[in-house]
Amino acid sequence: MKMHMRKHPRRYLFRLTFVLAALAFTNIASAHMLNMTHIEVQTQEIEPTKITLRIDLGQSLMSADEYWTLANAPSAEQAMLMRNVKEQLDAGLRFEVDGTTASPTLQSWDFPAVSLAAIENPLTPQMATLTYHLSAIPRDSIGVSLADDFAVPWPCLVRLDIAGRELPVSRLLTSYDRNSGSVALHGATTGEDVDIGALMVSASQDWLPSLSWVVIGFQHIIPRGLDHIAFVLGLFFLSTGLRPLLLQVTGFTIAHSLTLGLAMYGFVSVPAAIVEPLIAASIVYVALDNLYASHLAPFRMLVVCAFGLLHGLGFAAVLQEIHMPQESFAQALLLFNVGVELGQIAVIAGAFALVGAFRSRSWYSSGIAHPATMGIAGVGAYWLLKRTIF
Amino acid sequence: MTPEPTKQWKSLLGIAAITATLFGMETATSMVVPDDLVFDVNSRVEGVFPETWIHGSKSAMDNTDPAVQVHRYNAHTYILRENKAINYEGAFMYLFFGNQKALLIDQGSTSSPALFPLRDVVDGIITAWEKAHQRTNTQLIVANSHLHGDHYAAWNQFVDRPDTLMVGLTHEEVMAYWGFDDYPEQRVTYDLGGRQFIVTGTPGHQSSEIALYDTWTDLLYTGDMLYRGRLYLEDWQAWKASIKRLRDMADDYPVAHLVNNHIEMTATPTIDYPIGTTWQPDEPPMQMTLDMLNTAVSASTEIERPGIYKYDHFLIYNEVPWAYTTDP
Ligand SMILES: [Zn+2]
Repeated sequence: MKMHMRKHPRRYLFRLTFVLAALAFTNIASAHMLNMTHIEVQTQEIEPTKITLRIDLGQSLMSADEYWTLANAPSAEQAMLMRNVKEQLDAGLRFEVDGTTASPTLQSWDFPAVSLAAIENPLTPQMATLTYHLSAIPRDSIGVSLADDFAVPWPCLVRLDIAGRELPVSRLLTSYDRNSGSVALHGATTGEDVDIGALMVSASQDWLPSLSWVVIGFQHIIPRGLDHIAFVLGLFFLSTGLRPLLLQVTGFTIAHSLTLGLAMYGFVSVPAAIVEPLIAASIVYVALDNLYASHLAPFRMLVVCAFGLLHGLGFAAVLQEIHMPQESFAQALLLFNVGVELGQIAVIAGAFALVGAFRSRSWYSSGIAHPATMGIAGVGAYWLLKRTIF
Repeated sequence: MTPEPTKQWKSLLGIAAITATLFGMETATSMVVPDDLVFDVNSRVEGVFPETWIHGSKSAMDNTDPAVQVHRYNAHTYILRENKAINYEGAFMYLFFGNQKALLIDQGSTSSPALFPLRDVVDGIITAWEKAHQRTNTQLIVANSHLHGDHYAAWNQFVDRPDTLMVGLTHEEVMAYWGFDDYPEQRVTYDLGGRQFIVTGTPGHQSSEIALYDTWTDLLYTGDMLYRGRLYLEDWQAWKASIKRLRDMADDYPVAHLVNNHIEMTATPTIDYPIGTTWQPDEPPMQMTLDMLNTAVSASTEIERPGIYKYDHFLIYNEVPWAYTTDP
């Protein structure tokens, strides 16, 4: 084993850091993690938001002796004895109400302690309770975070009881993940009180993890959205020029974004049994129209937009099957749509890359566009039959 | 420049031919595409436990074991264990598959994705399972046996996972998800994509704990309220009633094995490893038998006072402040 280590000093170093890190975790304090920190946030309609912090002070921000002294001091002296701890808490605990920082004010405290030995033993946590008020009454969202240099007994469970909501919301803060993100007070799915400004704020906050929604949107075109690919290719094979193509795709995009949003917020709902066959019919229509018309008629532009509305409902149906994060609903929806658009652009770009160079050739129509359009019509007819009769 | 009529007919014929071909291809592939998995309630599907679990190492420095041991109990049931060198709790976690759904019970004792990449491991299992069974779009449900931090430390790793449902870490969220309106007495039937579980309340160690009975494997999962180790009971009366509920469950349903969250005993009866042990070369199996459940039932009727009570396969710490833990 030693030989092996000498040969691979780097690996040894890695192992050593692993072990040091591991040792930090293999602390007896983590038995059932009984002394983990709790933050409870309770919003109310008119009264200030109440925050309850339960923390093992004698194992974190103060020594066990200091905590024992604090616990036994008459309440008049406690404010003095806890001054240092209060400063650390004021700097370490951060609240955000409707996107702006809000500072809590300490209302009351309770410092129980059975014995000094109990404080010293992490298996018998003597949890201090501190109660705060937030003067700003949240209307749209609330968030909790812990400053980077603020260490509490980890992890820290955040429980949010939001006025008017049946169930609490839970968040876990760890030394790696110190921010709860902003938690929306209203379930966005109800479609009530949608404040676009606040939504944009929350959409711009910690957006990085949500990038996965762009990926999901993209995947609903490539590879999963075969019917949408067929439709977009149908548009591609009609247009001899770039302008009519862009016009159609733009109209289609605006239309499907509109119905996707409306459907996801519950404003419209059309059963899949109606939407799905119509989407298939739209593919057949566009393809047949390609075979008989060689330019973009204004009527066709209208039809394409109408079909866009349908396709939006189709996206909504698949999206509704996925569990959407309630508190960042608008953001997820927006990013999903971005992904859909990127997928659409990729389809057109791919088609251009394959056959774009031959668009001006005399045989393009009979050799490429015509057979491709027939293929699209055939696939559309297959879906149409499958979604209606079979 | 509208094409001439014969050409139009030819096009339509071509389209019809393509449509017909697609129907033909569909019929052909439908013979290959798998049907829904069937999880028969009435017959037991067996699985295997490892001979021994990975049980830490003498020196943590020499530990080259994976952060998470993945054990395939059977085709649709996985048991995971956290490396004891990362956290001595060596907690077990469970991943059950049904049609379109996977249920992850517990997320270990370590939060750091670098030290304990549970999310990556679970993603890997799901991807491999989907590939093996030709499936996609499996929704992951992230749930917990009970609400102690050593069983949800890596919960955050799943928060931004697509197609994932986080049950939540408050008592109310847990009750709402499983559909309890009369916890803990109630038995609820939980459907994991055609795989039926019977879920009941088992408080005593912690006041939101649940036990699950899987009708497909006949495994009875007892979490932290019954395992080979120190059973810390914060509420004796609650635990006593929960043990009785488990016994009733075993009377009503055939049980293959009792499975759970930790191993703290040695293979020698009544002797446990000291708390904090990161190397357990002499571990008994994790799974337990109905005899051991019966011992717990009689213990629940014998014990009347707080204290430490030793049994062959587990120790009961009845409402004992943990400070007085007297490990050998
Ligand atoms: Zn526990």
